[in-house]
Amino acid sequence: MSETLFPQSSTLGQPVPRYEGRAKVTGEARYASDVRLARTAHAYLHMSAIARGTIEAFDLAAARAVPGVIDILTHETIGDQIRQTPAIYQGGYISDSRRPLGSAEIANWGQPIAVVVAETFEAAREAAHRIDVTYKLHPSLAAGMNSPSATTQTLEPMTIGVGDFDAAYAAAPVKVEAHYSTPAQHQNPMEQFATQCVWESDRLTVHEPSQYVNNVKFGLAEQLGIGAERIRVISTYVGGAFGAKGFLTQRTALVAIAARRIGRPVKLVATREQGFTVSGYRAETRHHVQLGADSEGRLSALRHEGWELTSRGDAVAMGAVSMTARLYACPNISARVNTVATDRSTPGFMRAPGEMPYAFALETALDELAHTLDMDPIELRRVNDTRTEPVGGLPYTSRSLMRCFDEAAAAFDWKRRTSQPGSMRDGDWLVGWGCATAFYPTYAGNSAARVRLSANGRVHVSSAGHELGQGMYTMMAQVAAEELGVPVERVTVSLGDTDLPPAIVAGGSSSTASVAPAIMAACDAIRRRLGVDGASPAEIMPAMEASGIGVIEEFAETRPHGVPPDSMKGLYRGKTFPVGGVHLPDRVQFALGAQFVEVRIHALTHEIRVPRAVGAFAAGRIINPRTVHGQFVGGMIWGISSALHEHTEIDDRNASYINANLADYLLPVNADIIDVKAIMVPEEDRLVNRAGVKGVGEIGVVGVAAAISNAVFHATGRRLRDLPIRLEHVM
Amino acid sequence: MTLRVNGSTHAVELDARTTLLDALREHIGLTGSKKGCDHGQCGACTVLIDGSRELSCLTLAVSSQQREVTTIEGLARPDGDLHPMQQAFIDHDAFQCGYCTPGQILSAIGCVSEGHADTPAGIREYMSGNICRCAAYPNIVAAVMQARDQMAGG
Ligand code: FES
Ligand code: FES
Repeated sequence: MSETLFPQSSTLGQPVPRYEGRAKVTGEARYASDVRLARTAHAYLHMSAIARGTIEAFDLAAARAVPGVIDILTHETIGDQIRQTPAIYQGGYISDSRRPLGSAEIANWGQPIAVVVAETFEAAREAAHRIDVTYKLHPSLAAGMNSPSATTQTLEPMTIGVGDFDAAYAAAPVKVEAHYSTPAQHQNPMEQFATQCVWESDRLTVHEPSQYVNNVKFGLAEQLGIGAERIRVISTYVGGAFGAKGFLTQRTALVAIAARRIGRPVKLVATREQGFTVSGYRAETRHHVQLGADSEGRLSALRHEGWELTSRGDAVAMGAVSMTARLYACPNISARVNTVATDRSTPGFMRAPGEMPYAFALETALDELAHTLDMDPIELRRVNDTRTEPVGGLPYTSRSLMRCFDEAAAAFDWKRRTSQPGSMRDGDWLVGWGCATAFYPTYAGNSAARVRLSANGRVHVSSAGHELGQGMYTMMAQVAAEELGVPVERVTVSLGDTDLPPAIVAGGSSSTASVAPAIMAACDAIRRRLGVDGASPAEIMPAMEASGIGVIEEFAETRPHGVPPDSMKGLYRGKTFPVGGVHLPDRVQFALGAQFVEVRIHALTHEIRVPRAVGAFAAGRIINPRTVHGQFVGGMIWGISSALHEHTEIDDRNASYINANLADYLLPVNADIIDVKAIMVPEEDRLVNRAGVKGVGEIGVVGVAAAISNAVFHATGRRLRDLPIRLEHVM
Repeated sequence: MTLRVNGSTHAVELDARTTLLDALREHIGLTGSKKGCDHGQCGACTVLIDGSRELSCLTLAVSSQQREVTTIEGLARPDGDLHPMQQAFIDHDAFQCGYCTPGQILSAIGCVSEGHADTPAGIREYMSGNICRCAAYPNIVAAVMQARDQMAGG
């Protein structure tokens, strides 16, 4: 790790402590529900108790009688105050296509069907529980993928074919074929879904944790039928998001009209249970994988078909065969994706949304192939390593996969592994070691930033990016400090506010790759203003002094490679999305990594432990190893969790969630995590974007589940192809 | 009723059902304590009551009268100097989104004063009532070890 690829810097690449660290350890950081507004009324949601049918009648008398109740919103009481608008998947803004309180129709369990507004939280909660609903049940119900009334549809645009898979597979001397599955999972950020709305005459301010404040602003304007210039959305701190806060949900318009109806600020904090259907989630997936190879392990045929659960209203699919088909050299490939529509709420994005489940399938299948060939799984990846993706023959901008494997293997001491399953038993503990590839596409999108430089050396940088915990404030300060040659302590930052220059959604691990170049471009403009175009950072302040100028403020917008020129207007309408990965005409761009885990399974109790995990990641330039380390390690723990802990359990009788709370929805706690090491493999990629960054927020999750299932096989000789892996599966 | 919080007395008019957490957040205006579940399942609402760590979402405000409540806002000294545990969390980057952090810090102070912070394994076990979805767990353990030594020394 001693080599320096980008020029040495006192700021970039340094482990600068978090900009907002003090605010977060003192309780001064104000999250959306912490904002105090005068005369606030409290809202509480009432959710549907059935998954499919209609509301025949509401009895609101008992609810209205609760002292302190001000208003109750139902589809009957609000009429058409909220408009029908297209969902994000149809080019709109909202995360599902249902109109909030749009009709008597119930499309899923946990659908908001009434909102109580009261003087206190306690009164609103009591009244919401006193609402009595008469339902008419639809006779058939699809709770999951295997339900007879679920409808399957192949997504033709996602179909991939190259060469002749069928012939090559038939001819392959070595074959592996298997089915895999992953369960429904929920992001469960610690901060619940909160929204506060306040109207000042005809202007609305929304305080809501968001990964995309401009999506909320413009989507809400469309729903309310008012000009977007009348709406401001503020999200200064977000208490974790992981995809759950990516796009407008039904709740925001409800709180907005509640506040307008009663002429007071209204605050909603959805309960943890309600949160399971307030936003999207990681839907169940199934996979069919076939691999054909020669006796040296070289792939000759690869087939990956995925099925993803969705709602009846929205055909949402992550479709990551677009990536699994392009990871390894292979001349004959066939891949496709299907949706399975059910009576569940619309799924959405969850950290490494498609990458986690699709990597689990492919990387477990590769381990099965390695075992069949009696080949080291690292060597199997090595013989199939490639500089070009096999579907379209496009080059990788950079690819350090095997370097990641080699560094992680060395740190893990992989050479001590004996390949026979069960051969590393340690007393009562069955020990298994497993590995897998991690990948995440490198995305970026249009973004804008403003930078102000004062003669006293103070800098202010602003952009409507988002601080989710990934280190956005710190990154923005570092980039501006670096460009302008000032100490990072001299930089202040504003973000998470639609009054600031617009930026991309904080998704797809693309925030830094998108916003850092915009900040750099604004600093370029400052240089030009000073007449020192191209000057080094050290020359800026002397030039500023010589100019006698008090303050320079410059704005810049940037459009990354591959983003169409006419997309810039989308930046100003809340429609900027990550572009890149496998969706470029001339190249593919990925961060890559290698995941290694040790699994220990107790021979008598069957307890499963992961005493250590090592990941090595090559993700281009690392702006801040301190915050990036947190992303990698946190991601890897998410990976452990995706394999061993998380499983949203569904009651087939009414398509409800059985474990919609933090006691029964298993998440890792401190005692579950022992030794997790993340290695940053140096990598220079000047093609991906001006900052040379590939994105680090999600790759840590990817591949861990496969590494764990591979390690479980190594420990026990049992191949477990369905997540999560729990002790009853290893008995 | 009156509540003693961070050394000050607050007179508040509350519903008998109001939890200490909602009393702090909605009525006294101390929003540092966080609500992650409202059911005693996550630890985000942890405060110290008479010096021991308690879940404020499972504690009724009425039952907290005549007791001394310490929240995250009450840890730093009036001159702004941070409590060693707060500083240790910064030093070890023991958080990301920061939402679980007030609860983690108060729980960690409780963990140290209970004598459960002797070993990393002990810290992991006795800090397991506080979920960190960002999964800053290894750094939380490192932070507790640093502050433990400083708290013993100071
Ligand atoms: S809010 Fe009290 S334990 Fe979760
Ligand atoms: S720092 Fe985000 S939940 Fe702990």
